[in-house]
Amino acid sequence: MSKGLAFDKLREILLEKDWEEREEFAQKLSDLDDQLNSRNRLEEKIQPILDDERESLRHRFPDLFGPQITETISKQIRESQDEVVEALYPILGRMIKKYITSEIEKLSEKVDEQMKLAFSWEAWKIRIKAWFTGTPQKNMIISKLIEPKIEEIFIVEKQSGMLMGSFSKNHSVDQDMIAAMLTAIKAFVEDAFKGETQELDSIDYDNYKIVIKNFKSFFIAVVTSGGMSMAFRDKLDDTLLDFAEKVLRKAKDADEEVKQERITSGLEQYFDNFDKNE
Amino acid sequence: MNKKVILVGHFGVGKTSVVQQFVYSKFSEKYLTTIGVKIDKKLVKFDGYQMTLLIWDIAGETEQNSVSKSYKLGSHGIIYVFDLTRPSTYENLEGQIEYLKTLLPNAPIQILGNKKDLISEEEFNSVKESITLPFKATSAKTGEHVEEAFIDLAKAML
Repeated sequence: MSKGLAFDKLREILLEKDWEEREEFAQKLSDLDDQLNSRNRLEEKIQPILDDERESLRHRFPDLFGPQITETISKQIRESQDEVVEALYPILGRMIKKYITSEIEKLSEKVDEQMKLAFSWEAWKIRIKAWFTGTPQKNMIISKLIEPKIEEIFIVEKQSGMLMGSFSKNHSVDQDMIAAMLTAIKAFVEDAFKGETQELDSIDYDNYKIVIKNFKSFFIAVVTSGGMSMAFRDKLDDTLLDFAEKVLRKAKDADEEVKQERITSGLEQYFDNFDKNE
Repeated sequence: MNKKVILVGHFGVGKTSVVQQFVYSKFSEKYLTTIGVKIDKKLVKFDGYQMTLLIWDIAGETEQNSVSKSYKLGSHGIIYVFDLTRPSTYENLEGQIEYLKTLLPNAPIQILGNKKDLISEEEFNSVKESITLPFKATSAKTGEHVEEAFIDLAKAML
């Protein structure tokens, strides 16, 4: 064997493993190159990672960027008030216009209904009253439309908040719960604004007013709708006092069920036609 | 027959969760502190009787005498809840019960050690040894002894 051939043989024996590794490495490099340069294959590999990151960012977005966004919006609004007003005005304007139009339509419908009854006894009463008082007939009709009405009455034990009796035109609410919640609201207000003998005597919400008449061991809550007039309030106070004296005093010693029955029938007797007599 | 029941005790002992479990058979891990008072209603039936419970879940306070009396007055029954995992909620149990007895002498009291699901039997026995008053171990999460506690109180209110 020549010297050169022997050297080649020796090199082949010594470097055989290195050659194999080099070929394997070259193959891997070629695969990687293929993956990096082929958009589809790269997307296939990276997409799941991007999806995870996007999902994680979606969850963490409010924490990460919430304060900066709020601050930026506040700053923008402060610095560009005119632009904000300009942008919001058409939307708010349309909303207000729509609301007023709908309310006028409702009022107009009610006035129409009243006018249809022009030849009724009720209409003649209004005409005569208008003629005597000098009040325009349309004003009298409108005041009749918004006249106060009793919607519900609750007689409630003062400390426990237990319902002693009730009167309702629609029976749409859980009266025990309402009685308890009214007691809790009363207790909260009276505790929060401590006054020796001061008690909550009315609650206003939307078109309703809850008139509260306080007695020693119970209170009466009257839910009214419409515009509360002094005359109505006076009449209501007088009727409630009369009811308390004549019905509640007599019922107080009866057992629970009888008491509730007497109070409820008493309420019907006193208040069923209360609005009609007004 | 309607009865007013109040739930009192330290904050975070699980009063609202006990009521939720009893009234709606629900439990939530979320903690929402009660502001003022929350009222629920449930009809219970036992031994041929029917009773409507108006349950006043009163916001928690460390000392009962620091809570406004107004919500408690007129109650027919009391449920005092403490947390089996927090000794500070039952350290002065006797004092708190004594105060409630003075305020509402005719109202029966049911004491509940809540969050039973969070402690081992050994830990429970150790808590039991340190409390002299009788109580029911409840879990608002699993419902263990919750209904029973309200029914026992209802019977005592008859």
